[in-house]
Amino acid sequence: MRDSIVKGLQSGLLFAGVLIVIHLIGFSTIVISVLSATIFFALWCGIAVARRDPSLSNVVTKTVSAGLLGGVMVGLFAFLVTHAQAAGTNLRDELAALSPDAVSQISFGQGDVLAFVFNLLLFAGITIAGGIVWQIFESRGGAAAVTGQTRRLSGAVTSSGQWHWITTTSLGRVVGYGLIAILFLVLPLVIPGTLSYYTVSSVLIYVLMALGLNIVVGLAGLLDLGYVVFFAIGAYTAALLTAPAPHNLLWNYWVTIPIGVALAATIGVTLGVPVLRLRGDYLAIVTLGFGEAIQVLMKSDALTAFSNGPKGVSAIGQPMLFGQLFNSPFDFVIISAIGVAIVIFLTTRLQNSRVGRAWVAIREDETVAQAMGINTLYYKLLAFGIGASFAGLGGLLYASRNQFIGPEDNTLLVSINILSIVIVGGMGSIPGVIVGAFVLKGIPEILRDLENFRILIFAALLVLMMIWRPQGIVPSARRRLEMSHDEADADQEPESPPDAYQPSANKGVAK
Amino acid sequence: MTLALETQQVVKRFGGLTAVNHVDLQVDEKQIASVIGPNGAGKTTYFNCVTGFYTPDEGDILYYGKSLVGLSVDRIAGLGIARTYQNIRLFPAMTAIENILVGHHPRMKSNWIGSVLRTKATVEEERVSTQRATELLNFVGLKGKGDHAARNLPYGDQRRLEIARALANEPKLLLLDEPTAGMNPNETAILTAFIRQLRDELALTILLIEHDMRVVMTISDQVTVLDYGTKIAEGSPTEVQKNPAVIEAYLGKPMEEAVV
Repeated sequence: MRDSIVKGLQSGLLFAGVLIVIHLIGFSTIVISVLSATIFFALWCGIAVARRDPSLSNVVTKTVSAGLLGGVMVGLFAFLVTHAQAAGTNLRDELAALSPDAVSQISFGQGDVLAFVFNLLLFAGITIAGGIVWQIFESRGGAAAVTGQTRRLSGAVTSSGQWHWITTTSLGRVVGYGLIAILFLVLPLVIPGTLSYYTVSSVLIYVLMALGLNIVVGLAGLLDLGYVVFFAIGAYTAALLTAPAPHNLLWNYWVTIPIGVALAATIGVTLGVPVLRLRGDYLAIVTLGFGEAIQVLMKSDALTAFSNGPKGVSAIGQPMLFGQLFNSPFDFVIISAIGVAIVIFLTTRLQNSRVGRAWVAIREDETVAQAMGINTLYYKLLAFGIGASFAGLGGLLYASRNQFIGPEDNTLLVSINILSIVIVGGMGSIPGVIVGAFVLKGIPEILRDLENFRILIFAALLVLMMIWRPQGIVPSARRRLEMSHDEADADQEPESPPDAYQPSANKGVAK
Repeated sequence: MTLALETQQVVKRFGGLTAVNHVDLQVDEKQIASVIGPNGAGKTTYFNCVTGFYTPDEGDILYYGKSLVGLSVDRIAGLGIARTYQNIRLFPAMTAIENILVGHHPRMKSNWIGSVLRTKATVEEERVSTQRATELLNFVGLKGKGDHAARNLPYGDQRRLEIARALANEPKLLLLDEPTAGMNPNETAILTAFIRQLRDELALTILLIEHDMRVVMTISDQVTVLDYGTKIAEGSPTEVQKNPAVIEAYLGKPMEEAVV
């Protein structure tokens, strides 16, 4: 009982917190609508606390506590902004996204008290209803207290339930993600509210690259701080092949996509051959160097004739479809969404295969992984190459949408931003990385008016995040497995003797 | 009798220290051979030479007549040499069954394209391997624990899981580095019987580093004693036990003290 309440409160706090951040960024008020954002997060909150719990009474306790706490938080937030607005404070001075229009959306056009009540009821109601419906749904499918993933791995339990395929099969997951995507894209159309597809496409490009980096860092455990290199290769491939200056090649944009992706992957593997012999910190430092080098290179005089140097390349080609320009922000949303779908598909397929296990084994203990017969260099190169190709795709889309690419777009900060998305969202977790991209791309926007302190506060938030929730906002199934068993089996925790023996470290050095 | 493993005058030096000094060893197929010696005698270094973690400075290591010197660690594992570690080295965040599947890696063929497209061959291989891994899990007595994260298993289960992972390689030669370390007498007795069962049922050749003399004396067909990297004695357990050099170097004067 007590555990259920605590779990519920934690989830309520988390999801309401994310929702408030989404409001503060203006993502809910400008891009989608407050109503659809609230429904989305409340529903997710309810399902998150209810899933894999066979006991209905537990689920009721959890969803009620999650719904009430989350509802009160969201309600209080609505109360405060509505009240402040009514009292004549100009919220936009500090929080750029809270325009009078946004506030009236958050308050559903009501006064402060009613805004509180409306938000509370909406969040709590949907959380509780969603959680309970999901529980009934899942228990009819015969779910036990194991995840679909591990259940499938051991092959020990087979389920005959009619709905169970949603959580256990990859088709089910594809359908699940598809529904979430449709919800995000269609809800705002159905529910009135203005829409900025430009912002969505920006976020989606970051989601795409973060999911690519997730394969490198989250699955294979290779700390790559020079991810921007591959982004730059993709972006410059599109730029140099399609722009009138400096080469006037004017190729079709679509043709440059496979070329850029292949080039990024090839360069990824080529750089990887020497670099991936290094481990951990050394790998991070060397990739960091590559990341800096690409920017310096693009600025340098030596390459001015080739890449336009510091001026950058503008008037980059745009996609055409059936003789029409296919270049509106919404079109780019579609193209990036397809990229995101491909990387999700690839990640889920590889995750639980021989390849995915080899990656995780390398991440866990590279020396032992090799002793298990895994050709570690090959698998590291594979992860690096796949990750690089998605960064390349991100660069290709970015360059074409912005119509410009210059050295300043390829800074270290790009690598760090993408890495932060992966870590804050939850390493190895696809929904985590997606949420991370929305939150992290947004926070700097909220803090825009604090100018000089912006990055400082951003950094402080990252540090706090690592202290309080090191596994990320939405941890991967594997992380969750570790955490849940840690509590249950704390008394059985084996004593791990200090690892004095590290043969690999001696190899070569000792000769 | 076929020789499964033969090392000829193997030398491994670390700077001025000669950790393994001209060690000759021959292990017949389907034998249990033990390597014993005081701490720091070079036993684990010797294991690391056989499994390719270290390249010997001199000498040759033959596995069914084929030299292993210069081969990479993963190639050697692919040839059917599997090992366990003195300090358990499982993949802590992976489940028990995943750990075993990683051990099965060299016997699987599917590549990343097959996994992405989920070809018939890949799906079938995955199914057979998972089934095989589940059998191994049951074989080592961890039935029903396949979904537990390795790090959450009790100590004894981790030892067994590590053996299961090594067996998933379908090895011909199994190297066990102090398998009974940290176990109580009861667990040790069970594991000793289990090691013998491995040899009898799976026709494995087993090379064992062990400190517990009761284990060594009960299951070994042959015992090799190392001291300061040099082989000082070799033979059946009874022969070694009587050898004065061994008693002096290792077992010490009052026998009971050395016997754990």
